[in-house]
Amino acid sequence: MSGTATDSPAKKGKWTRRAFIGAGVVAGGALVVGVAVRQGNPIDRLSPLLLTSGEDEQLLNAWVKVDADNIVTAVIPHVEMGQGVYTALAQMLADEMDADWNKVRIIEAPADKQYVSDSIGRDFLLPDLEVPALFEPTVAGGILELAQAMGLQFTGGSYSVRATGQRAMRTAGAAAREMLVAAAASEWQVPASEITTADSMILHAGSGKSEPFSKFALAAAEQGLPARPRLKSPENYRIMGQPKARHDIPEKVDGSAIFGIDARVPGMKYAAVRAAPVVGATVESMDATTARTMPGVLQILNMGDFVAVVADGYWQAQQALNSIDTKYSKTEADSLDQDAIFARYARYLDEAGEDGGDMETEEGDAAKGFAEAAIKVEAEYKVPFLAHATMEPMNCTAWVRDGKCDVWSGHQAPVNARQAAADAAGLSFEDVTYHNAYLGGGFGRRSESDNIVMATRIAKATGYPVKMIWSREEDMAQDHYRPSATSRFRGGLDKDGKAVSWSNIHTHLFDPKDAPTVPYYNIASYRIRKVDVPMQLRLGPWRSVDHSQHGFFIESFVDEMAHAAGKDGYAFRRELLAGSARHLKVLDTAAKMSGWGSALPERHGRGIAFVPSFGSIVAQIAEVDMSGPKPKVKKVYVAADPGFVINPDGFTAQMESAIAYGLTAALYGEITLGDGKVRQSNFHDYPMLRINEMPAVEVALINGDHERLGGGGEPGLPPIAPAVTNAIFAATGTRIRELPLSRHNFA
Amino acid sequence: MIKLNINGQAREVDVDPATPILWVVRENLDMTGTKFGCGIAQCGACTVHLDGKPVRSCSTPVSAAEGKAITTIEGIAGEDGTLHRVQQAWIEAQVPQCGYCQSGQIMAATALLQKNPAPTDAQIDAAMAGHVCRCGMYNRIRQAIRAAAGQPAGTETVA
Amino acid sequence: MTLARPLACLSLFMLPACGADPAPGPVEQMVVREPDAAPVAIAAAAGNDSPASALIAEGKAAFANCSVCHTAEQGAGNRAGPNLFGIVGQPAGRAAGFAYSDGLKTSGIVWTAAELDRFIANPAGRIPGTKMIAGGISDAAKRQAVIAYLESLTAS
Repeated sequence: MSGTATDSPAKKGKWTRRAFIGAGVVAGGALVVGVAVRQGNPIDRLSPLLLTSGEDEQLLNAWVKVDADNIVTAVIPHVEMGQGVYTALAQMLADEMDADWNKVRIIEAPADKQYVSDSIGRDFLLPDLEVPALFEPTVAGGILELAQAMGLQFTGGSYSVRATGQRAMRTAGAAAREMLVAAAASEWQVPASEITTADSMILHAGSGKSEPFSKFALAAAEQGLPARPRLKSPENYRIMGQPKARHDIPEKVDGSAIFGIDARVPGMKYAAVRAAPVVGATVESMDATTARTMPGVLQILNMGDFVAVVADGYWQAQQALNSIDTKYSKTEADSLDQDAIFARYARYLDEAGEDGGDMETEEGDAAKGFAEAAIKVEAEYKVPFLAHATMEPMNCTAWVRDGKCDVWSGHQAPVNARQAAADAAGLSFEDVTYHNAYLGGGFGRRSESDNIVMATRIAKATGYPVKMIWSREEDMAQDHYRPSATSRFRGGLDKDGKAVSWSNIHTHLFDPKDAPTVPYYNIASYRIRKVDVPMQLRLGPWRSVDHSQHGFFIESFVDEMAHAAGKDGYAFRRELLAGSARHLKVLDTAAKMSGWGSALPERHGRGIAFVPSFGSIVAQIAEVDMSGPKPKVKKVYVAADPGFVINPDGFTAQMESAIAYGLTAALYGEITLGDGKVRQSNFHDYPMLRINEMPAVEVALINGDHERLGGGGEPGLPPIAPAVTNAIFAATGTRIRELPLSRHNFA
Repeated sequence: MIKLNINGQAREVDVDPATPILWVVRENLDMTGTKFGCGIAQCGACTVHLDGKPVRSCSTPVSAAEGKAITTIEGIAGEDGTLHRVQQAWIEAQVPQCGYCQSGQIMAATALLQKNPAPTDAQIDAAMAGHVCRCGMYNRIRQAIRAAAGQPAGTETVA
Repeated sequence: MTLARPLACLSLFMLPACGADPAPGPVEQMVVREPDAAPVAIAAAAGNDSPASALIAEGKAAFANCSVCHTAEQGAGNRAGPNLFGIVGQPAGRAAGFAYSDGLKTSGIVWTAAELDRFIANPAGRIPGTKMIAGGISDAAKRQAVIAYLESLTAS
């Protein structure tokens, strides 16, 4: 038993050495290494989920277990919403553990506060804190408790691989391996340094001994926590960096994958709902005369803020709901309309003037720099509200009875969902069991718990299990939209066309706070401000969050400055990135791949955009054909550096995915408001990109820094809109400052 | 009672004949592989086969299926569980991301190849354009269809 | 860096509440039937009991399926399909602001009850290329009821 911080008293005095080693005594985060499940150990409540064959299994740590068949099970505290996280995180753990990839199973962690993502908590709460290596007991402890308190066990922010994967999964795997080696060394009476591991086997070359992990799993749990588990360096990666096939794909091609909407509960009934279309309104009256007579109807509920019909089947419920006439109360949001919103933005920006608003960041004297600039550029950009439009409409199944509650859904933050259900039912967290499923699209929408609350309220009123499904119309009307925004720029260039001044004031800032900033561009002076504009609409995080607006704003304006300087967009950005080797490599790779500068057919153009976000650096070049009445994006070249690519195929898929999602928005995406209501309702008036409009995508992956991983799910999105609009300018001379492109006439 | 033939099995359901096939399959027959996406035949997630032809089950009443054979995603693999070559191609190309639209995509693809074993890209696009994939896996879908048709996969997405 | 920094992907910054009041229950709760009880026969709508009004009530109930795409109130907007207020007797393709298919626009149809009956029975057969790709009604009696309901839509 090594005399390290592992021996220091755990924060919770009731823990024993072989119990859950809690706050502050772990290597690098919420990892619990060397836990054995024993009677009376609170870990026991997890054991039914993890132990399948009985006593001889040891829970080596809460992230990984090794069973008698030498199968390594990775417990993943994140949700699979299509981004391949189950597989990528398992790769990280399995590689460090030297596990046989063909004998690795993956399960999702239960919605238990124990599995909170301390790593994410740390990044969110104290991102500037440079914590040396892996052992920071006090800090880790503090973060863990805070993270637990906030129910942080969520998937989003492109964090799973770069935080949990990098800090916890790899450490868990490495620690488990070291403990296994220590156990073997002890049994074989040889120095640990002579023991090697490979493919879930422990080997001692000198004596020819070899045994599977499972032989030493019990003994390993008796070993002390390694003080500093050594992580591999890239030349030793055997599983990380490989395009391993995803574990969840087979069930997604045979119809057996269970999504939230597929929950099955005996005795379950179905609910269709309609909430007040205008934010803040309530149901004043409802006329359910026809609905009461319709087939299958069980109950009709006026819940105050929404109406629900419960029936034997969803379709019957929705038919009956459609026949109900509802009158809503008046609210101040009734008059909200599209033009008024942007007029409001303009007013707030005008009122902020030269010195108002909130300062985000400034350097030098940007106003002076602009005033004295040889070349001045000014522009204003606008982007609309956007819906998430996940393929699987929002839904939730709930059952409240006898002081207990069960909830089924696909959610990005299962612990939050569980708490939301508890609050809605008037129960405690412990009384709720939350069952997570695959998500038919998350994109930030499924980090909200409004569906959980609604279903729980209905279930509480009926007393039997109810599956609530939102129609597509309801999903469109009750989204938490990506905020619209207006952004105004002033840029100054000297007589050599070098950027010397950058001023920006914009509406709205949510997250990440650095989205409007450009620290990677060498500009002598800058001044970036925001104004908060009150908006009576539900807003929420949308794939790449504020980078989705600011990526467009910034990379469009950089292009305008380049043009004013008489320079090519690539050359201009090269100058702005001068001295930053890692950034330049990404930009140069994209330019080279695309044949930047080479001839294109008539009315074709190339546009370039460069956006670092979520720790990854991405450059995209779009080739657009403007010879027809609408822009056709033919091809997108992507150069991406996320530090190190754990699964190249998975990362490439995420680039394709983000491009499609962002391009859909750039071409068509617009949620408009009239009389306070969202006007769009389904895919006929909120159009989607389809197979015939998907550009070819070519991706170059760059491993720029294996110790600082960036995200995969979101960074591919921010560059696509400006790459396309910059290409349109190159092809036609028309500068697009307002999205979506469907607003503009290119004929 | 309505008599149905679904994935080769005779089943009887006691439902309103106007009920869309989608909800009969999902709720009365407990087969959740077919998905609900929009309800107005705009997204393709609900696609099943009726006598081998792809239809939008969200907008087709179950009465229209009487006397016909319904095939769902659960029914396209072989009796012994061997995956359809389209399903195998989907796994090879690692097509699904979230996977929610994929039952519908696969049903459309299998129907296409049944009718036209060697489709051109234009024919693939025409057959598949009614299907939305919010995760944007269109290039992989096209590559997988080509592979299932025994053609070169193509280079829409290159890494 | 303060701890008050909002979280990127959780717009609800929720601290677990201790003993929070549950979310509000129903303002109004109509229990039409218990889950295990047999379904009741469809009752006639409240109001007068004449066969005509029963047919209109039945049509209104059936219209619920149509209302996914069509509104019926005067002045209500278009959705995936056009507003149908006053449709009976109108020439086809005239609802303001709706982008009809070419087939329908050039059809020369006037929406008599008979024409509506023919169209609703098989929309794509009657007008190839119609935007009404869903919502056809194969049951003649049900079509009759829906048309009766549409006929009843007049300015009050």
